[in-house]
Amino acid sequence: MIRISELLVLAAGLMAAILGALFIDSGLLFLLCEVLVIFLLAQMWNLLAGFSGQMSLGHQAFVGLGAYTLFYIANHTAIPLWLVLALVPCLIGLLAIPLGLVMFHLKQAYFAVGMWVVAEILMQLTAKAQWLGGTSGMTLRPGGTMLSGEPERPAFAIAAFGAVALVVALRVFLRTRLGLATLALRENEAAAASAGVDVKRLHLILFCLTAAGTSAAGGLYYITSLYITPQDAFQINWMITMMFVTVIGGLGTLTGPALGTIILIGAREAMTAAGYSGGQYWIVMGAAAVIVLLLAPRGLWPALAPRIRAAFTTSTKSKA
Amino acid sequence: MGATEPVLLRVQGATKTFGSIQAVDMVDLELRIGESVGLIGPNGAGKSTFLSLLSGDQQVSAGRVSFEGRDISRVPAHARVVAGIARAAQIPQTFGRLSLRENVLLPSLFGARLPQREAEDWCREVLAMVGLDARPDVPAGALGLLDRKRLELAKAVAARPRLLLLDEIAAGLTEPEVETIMALVRRLQAGRAIVWVEHIPAALRGTCERLVVMDKGAKTHDGPFAEVWADRSLQEIYMGVPDDDISAH
Repeated sequence: MIRISELLVLAAGLMAAILGALFIDSGLLFLLCEVLVIFLLAQMWNLLAGFSGQMSLGHQAFVGLGAYTLFYIANHTAIPLWLVLALVPCLIGLLAIPLGLVMFHLKQAYFAVGMWVVAEILMQLTAKAQWLGGTSGMTLRPGGTMLSGEPERPAFAIAAFGAVALVVALRVFLRTRLGLATLALRENEAAAASAGVDVKRLHLILFCLTAAGTSAAGGLYYITSLYITPQDAFQINWMITMMFVTVIGGLGTLTGPALGTIILIGAREAMTAAGYSGGQYWIVMGAAAVIVLLLAPRGLWPALAPRIRAAFTTSTKSKA
Repeated sequence: MGATEPVLLRVQGATKTFGSIQAVDMVDLELRIGESVGLIGPNGAGKSTFLSLLSGDQQVSAGRVSFEGRDISRVPAHARVVAGIARAAQIPQTFGRLSLRENVLLPSLFGARLPQREAEDWCREVLAMVGLDARPDVPAGALGLLDRKRLELAKAVAARPRLLLLDEIAAGLTEPEVETIMALVRRLQAGRAIVWVEHIPAALRGTCERLVVMDKGAKTHDGPFAEVWADRSLQEIYMGVPDDDISAH
């Protein structure tokens, strides 16, 4: 069950989310929203690829599906925008059940590439769909009117609390029996089945959960940008970002994606401020990825965590 | 005592083909609670494939596997564990980053379907049974070969199977270590049936009262251990030469 310390973290997260939304400057809020969305997306992909062992190269499909579903429902109904945002993960999570049942016939690399194909097909279909604005996309007009106020403020509050709540939820989940089965899946799928775990069902549960989470994060991102096109929402760059952040930080760990996100966005902001171009930034990031994976194949966090823990215990010992 | 018990496992004409290769060929087998069967045969005889037909890791191409009167030929592996069939693999399939306790907890929760608290107690009991209860919180990846084999056995036992399949669990161990494993298996015999595939006859002799021999996918012998072991045609299977040829030269 949930621990007191985790409840305290949740409460602190809620406070920080509300205070941040009220007092942080609007420009910084946009950046923070982006950081938090990337973290949420990466954590979702991490749950699927890192824990469940199912590498998907097409999770941008759920970013696009989530955002388009949100825009369409918000624009064509009177349902309040933030309620639509809560509805989107439920819808996309359900949609992922039949998709998963079909895609699971493909294994490993075939599944990964198959998911990518799904995302590309969705992009093409969306571009052809005139009722979704075709290639020129859609503007967010909840109930037919322009969004008033500053959507980045509630968006930040939701993203910030969502990020904290997600980590707490994952920690709690990994302590349950289904969580233990997920950890076992990460180690050895055949052995998990030999222990009586219905591996296919567990894969499907995790696939749907990550689809739902990814769609919610996608919807949230496009609320702050107010505008969506198929080429943007279904782009492979979402996938590259999720993968980069997770693999550099530490696949199959809860802290890894947070560390990866900080590196990705921190380096971008620092290099942009110093006057480097986007191309140069990606060269540096690519080189950083190669170096990290050569020195610490399991990612930065699994490499650093034992040292941090050791430093911490020796320092507390010397104090005592 | 075995004959008075009802039939637990009934295999009828089990056959497994891979392309043109007949790995298991029309094998029949009946097992009762309390029976321990040693299964031997030369390399490639189809012993491990036969075990996987029982565990559900592979499914029969033809024939039938019934367990407690129910046809389970098409039931997948995880559901057979729940039904009461567990296998200890030849190469220990442990979860390296999980603790010993968690390794055993998983089959207690999912295989034996125990509620959390009962499962925790059962885990302690199983770990004590195999002699791994001193440090239940170390990760399984830190164990040596004998301890990994013990843990593999513990995982199978934790699922509370009525049919326990042992696939060369003594292979690669030293003689005293084999003794340890034998003693363990003997403690597991009560209340269940065991099928033990092993290349070390001494390990089987001390534990199994019945011996089954497979060769080229087919069952060639089935009977009391001493009787089958003394059978002269057994040498023929292992040496690949008829007895007469040996005496003639």
